[in-house]
Amino acid sequence: MYQYDVIDREFLTDRSNEFRHQVTRRLAGELTEDQFKPLRLMNGLYLQLHAYMLRVAIPYGSLNSRQARRLAWVARTYDKGYGHMTTRQNIQFNWIKLKDAPDILDALAEVDLHAIQTSGNCIRNTTADPYAGATAEEIDDPRVWSEVIRQWSTLHPEFSYLPRKFKIAITGALTDRAAVKVHDIGLILRRARDGSLGFEVIVGGGQGRTPYVGPTIKHHLPASSLLSYLEAVLRVYNRHGRRDNIYKARIKILVAALGAEEFGRQVEEEWAKIDQGRADLGDLELARIRGAFAQTPFETLPAHSEAFEAAKAASPSLARFARNNVKAHKKPGYAIVEVSLKAVGQTPGDATADQLDVVADLAERYSLDDLRVTHAQNLVLPHVKLDDLPAVHAALEAAGLATANIDLISDIIACPGLDYCALANARAIPIAQDIAKTFADPDRAETIGELKIKISGCINACGHHHVAHIGILGVDKKGEEFYQLSLGGSGAEDASIGKILGPALSADRVAPAIDTLVDTYLAARQGEERFLDTYRRVGLEPFKEAVYAQAD
Amino acid sequence: MKAVTANRLIDGEVVFWKEGAWVDGFGDAQLFDDAQGEAVEAAVAAGKAAPTVIVDPYPIDLITVEGLGLAPVSYRERIRALGPTNELLHGKQAEGGAVVEAIRHASGAARSTGRVDLIRRK
Amino acid sequence: MPKLIKLAGEQAQWAENTFVHVADEDAIPEAGDVILSLSRFQAEGDALLSSNSRRVGVRIEPAEEVEALAYDLPRLSVVALAFPKYRDGRAYTSARLLRERFKYEGEIRAVGDVLQEQAGFMVRCGFDAFEPNDGATPEAWTKAANRFRHVYQRAVDARPIAADERAQQTAQAKEGAL
Repeated sequence: MYQYDVIDREFLTDRSNEFRHQVTRRLAGELTEDQFKPLRLMNGLYLQLHAYMLRVAIPYGSLNSRQARRLAWVARTYDKGYGHMTTRQNIQFNWIKLKDAPDILDALAEVDLHAIQTSGNCIRNTTADPYAGATAEEIDDPRVWSEVIRQWSTLHPEFSYLPRKFKIAITGALTDRAAVKVHDIGLILRRARDGSLGFEVIVGGGQGRTPYVGPTIKHHLPASSLLSYLEAVLRVYNRHGRRDNIYKARIKILVAALGAEEFGRQVEEEWAKIDQGRADLGDLELARIRGAFAQTPFETLPAHSEAFEAAKAASPSLARFARNNVKAHKKPGYAIVEVSLKAVGQTPGDATADQLDVVADLAERYSLDDLRVTHAQNLVLPHVKLDDLPAVHAALEAAGLATANIDLISDIIACPGLDYCALANARAIPIAQDIAKTFADPDRAETIGELKIKISGCINACGHHHVAHIGILGVDKKGEEFYQLSLGGSGAEDASIGKILGPALSADRVAPAIDTLVDTYLAARQGEERFLDTYRRVGLEPFKEAVYAQAD
Repeated sequence: MKAVTANRLIDGEVVFWKEGAWVDGFGDAQLFDDAQGEAVEAAVAAGKAAPTVIVDPYPIDLITVEGLGLAPVSYRERIRALGPTNELLHGKQAEGGAVVEAIRHASGAARSTGRVDLIRRK
Repeated sequence: MPKLIKLAGEQAQWAENTFVHVADEDAIPEAGDVILSLSRFQAEGDALLSSNSRRVGVRIEPAEEVEALAYDLPRLSVVALAFPKYRDGRAYTSARLLRERFKYEGEIRAVGDVLQEQAGFMVRCGFDAFEPNDGATPEAWTKAANRFRHVYQRAVDARPIAADERAQQTAQAKEGAL
């Protein structure tokens, strides 16, 4: 794991002191709210409906046990005992006071955590594959490159006041668990025929009001040229991205307006003018960062665990957990364990301070002190020995964290919605809870198979509804909460934008409509098709008919 | 009827205008009838003149919930006055009481009004 | 006339502002140093510069490209980069291009909505003069510009980045071990 050195730590101290100074000036009236707002946002602090919200970055989604415990402590000390995992590998605290924020940032900095650039029109925390360093499909470790980008983008003097926010995602695996095709920049690590490491560079994907699956503008960027190329992309965007209309300011609009080919040409032209020797990171620093991630102390273990197999045979709940939440690891004798934050009735993505402490203990004891957060708002213990799975499962079960539903219908992504968010038009959480209750039967959920439901409380699409198998968008219709359903989206390697099913439904009709969609799918399903596969084969019409015929 | 609301700068708490001060509870908010448009404007102006105390003051519409009392018309404002609906012990609603009950029962009333554009947009 | 802060090394200090910002609708004063808009400069700059009796600067709005000045830069004493709103970050790119690509050595001045919060970014991108809009003193400006002991990415300034500092530490450690 990458460890912050004195330089990283002094940087966080300086940042924290700067923010303390800015808060002091705001409270003294030396900064207006208009002046202060961008500054607090770049430190992750929003003013929401009930209080301030602090969004803390979890770079490449990775935490050690000390960091997880500190987050639990913050939740207990400054919040109401819980935190919310976001769809971009951050954690949000909902009940923060402005006057406490500098102290919280100090406390986080002590364990190498921060809220730098978790909001604002700057380069945000980079999303990476939560299975990094654990999955066998990986071509290269995306954490290495995420850390390179973290350092490069932190307080970038040229790119801190961009036209709009800027989000980068990286995967090193073919299975896309980081939604790289719907980010401002998506990076896929690839090897060329000659074996050289490079990136496929996707620019201009995004969700929000105008969703796009991003086009590839470069098929093989030599890995060592990453930073100079990013500089070129960002410079073209900073100069030419629209600033007259907030809804047209993201890079996707620029890329769509110019066309991917012309945008790519402008980037190449700019890149050719950049002194790459200066802009790119030297081999020494890259080797240092790579070395930090390479030192995972795996043991040599047999690929088969008698203890695990016996426990599984004896416990249906462990067997179910193993089927749904345990994934293949690159090392024999190890497994990747997903910890669902989607228990029936729970707020999707919320973890209590006690639960954070439990997973911190488990990470320390059973997962090489490594805990991950996923963009699907769950947690991952990436390096668990097969022999330890029964004990880990038992501990999770005791903490209400053993829900065996990863990628199933009740593993719903939901933004905080109007229960917390100042931008929302409608609530998202109660809809997720309704649906989870409707599909509470775990056998039925397994029969239905992979089905990704994602809910956003407004068109900004933090809940990723555009790229859901079934997407749900909360809208305000004549002063009431209504929900627009869309089908057929995907945020994974087969990315696509969902199509709107029909007129929006009232809140109480959403869960029954999902039930109807599922029945329609099961009736039309061929073989082992997922919902998405069936939808892509039969199209929207049968689903539309079923939902709206029933309504009339 | 109207009330005037804002968030307090130092902690983000939802507050309401009451006779020259900002109070935490919707139940304590000063109520303005339709003839008091100028008083509403004055309260908003007083808020804007105190930028180190509160952020973004604005008026909200209220309705009568039969037999229970008054509540904000828009569900956004009801959630602000109560707290999140997924955690019923968090926020102002934790105190309980008649005011909270009135707001909680206001959903039907808001829908029955059939009014539009009640949610404040920025 | 707006107050002017100039950079001398790492220190910011008050400086005499000899330049007058001439609005497009106003006549150019008979004498004295002037800063003109890009279009005004393109129309009337040659005549002013050939008289050789005064210094001329150009004000570049965010949407204007510094490339337009490429051939005039050696004759310009000031390029004033405008921040109509402090959230508009295009001038940072303009400053970098002036220094890194066009090797401009004259004054790059930040004008408009200029706050001390931007000091660090501005200095790193090559600005060396500032007309602060928030009443910032040179002391506050110096402090804001030097708040961070480390930087992570190369820019116009010659500050060693974190990777350089680490490489140096490694080299020193090796020397110490010998």
